[in-house]
Amino acid sequence: MATSILHRATGIAMYAGTVLLVAWLGAAAIGQDALNVVNAIYGSWFGQLVLFGFTWAMFQHLMSGLRHFIWDFAVMMEPGRREALGWATLAGSVILTLLVWTVFVWVG
Amino acid sequence: MKEQIITRDVVANPKTKYGNAKASTRHFITQRLTGAINVLFILFLVFIVAKLAGADRADMVATIGNGWIGLPLALLLVIVTIHMRNGMRDTLEDYFAGRAYSTYMTLNTLFCVVIAVAGVAAILKLVFWG
Repeated sequence: MATSILHRATGIAMYAGTVLLVAWLGAAAIGQDALNVVNAIYGSWFGQLVLFGFTWAMFQHLMSGLRHFIWDFAVMMEPGRREALGWATLAGSVILTLLVWTVFVWVG
Repeated sequence: MKEQIITRDVVANPKTKYGNAKASTRHFITQRLTGAINVLFILFLVFIVAKLAGADRADMVATIGNGWIGLPLALLLVIVTIHMRNGMRDTLEDYFAGRAYSTYMTLNTLFCVVIAVAGVAAILKLVFWG
């Protein structure tokens, strides 16, 4: 099922993406000028696109991670049910991503 | 990890003692434990980023500089780096063996340590020196 490789892909994407988080925190620690540069980059359309992707990767990895916890109890592994679980992780991650961006970015 | 030709029989036969039983069990448990804690990290991260996205330094110091927020964030960030080192180990184990595996694993550890140290240093600066 494709959601298995998605777990790895989103994990590796966030592995690299931690640089974005640390750069932001580091810039804040260094000073207002450095923070202005980071805010300008992250606030640009491309920066927002990357952060949107980061949000989805995070929630997808969370959802498929929870799926592994479910599988650790040796349930939901049967054909049909495991595919349904895979689709559920996708639905969950998309809904959570849109929810967070709607509440905190587009409306808030 | 020594060089070993891995065939279907090697993996299927328990007598080959393929893999490191102790270390692999530890990695398994570490990954689950840190993964569960990372659920907390996500809540923290969404809260902080939603509150501070595009904010000025003064606002970031006011929020992250609060020890009750900054110090747990620093601890959770370290746990994240443990989780991502272990996750990358899983990937490296699938594609490399022997010296190549060791080299990539060293780079992996180095990257995770740099991220952890840089992140914690930045947060501690905000908490203790504003």
